[in-house]
Amino acid sequence: MTFSRNKLYTVLLTACTAGYAWIFFSFDRMQSGSRAPDVCLMKQIVHIPCPSCGSSRAVLALVQGHVLQSVSINPFGLIIALIMLIAPVWILWDIAGRKHSFLHFYRQVEKLLKQPALALPLILFVLINWVWNITKGL
Amino acid sequence: MDAQKVDLFIMTNGKYFESHQLLHIRERLLQMDDSKWGILQTLQFKDPTTILIVSLLGGGLGIDRFMIGDTGLGVGKLLTCGGFGIWTIIDWFLIMGVTREKNLAQLQQVLY
Repeated sequence: MTFSRNKLYTVLLTACTAGYAWIFFSFDRMQSGSRAPDVCLMKQIVHIPCPSCGSSRAVLALVQGHVLQSVSINPFGLIIALIMLIAPVWILWDIAGRKHSFLHFYRQVEKLLKQPALALPLILFVLINWVWNITKGL
Repeated sequence: MDAQKVDLFIMTNGKYFESHQLLHIRERLLQMDDSKWGILQTLQFKDPTTILIVSLLGGGLGIDRFMIGDTGLGVGKLLTCGGFGIWTIIDWFLIMGVTREKNLAQLQQVLY
């Protein structure tokens, strides 16, 4: 579906809020010495980690300032943390100023990602990361 | 456009659209210029059933969303283990409708 501005902003803000809630919950669990439950459907069913398994742990490591440890758990954590930091601020800025800059950026990125020259290396990166996740036994 | 051609198009491509849209599509096609028949024939629509199978198998990685052209949502699904599995399950029910919407949007680019 071609997202309208308001729909995209609502979806992303909701997703980011859920993400922050999840990180706080996981952080709280970590402080009390236990681990947050596995929420990955694929891992639950076939017992093989998916390409983004370990992202929560990677973001938690980032929160504690361990960048290298975070990348070694899952490099996706870095991407997620960047999106979660930038997107809400940018969206709120847009809403306050009644602008469309984030929507334009989103559409540009979508267009860019569809180009094979960029899509193929990224698919390869995801696959390599997936194999790495499986060998690490996340 | 010739009614015979329009009916041929509806018969071969009807499954790619919502049934309630077909009447409107037919009317628009009848009003359309004959010169656009060639472009209409070259359009490649996504099969909702194929996308549903992809969604059932690779929905957790967002492959279904990538296939229908929702790259942004695909990335979102991929990065979040399919939205913690919840989004994956919701998409099993939504993806066929979304695919048909995408097909209509593609057709509308030729119609208007």
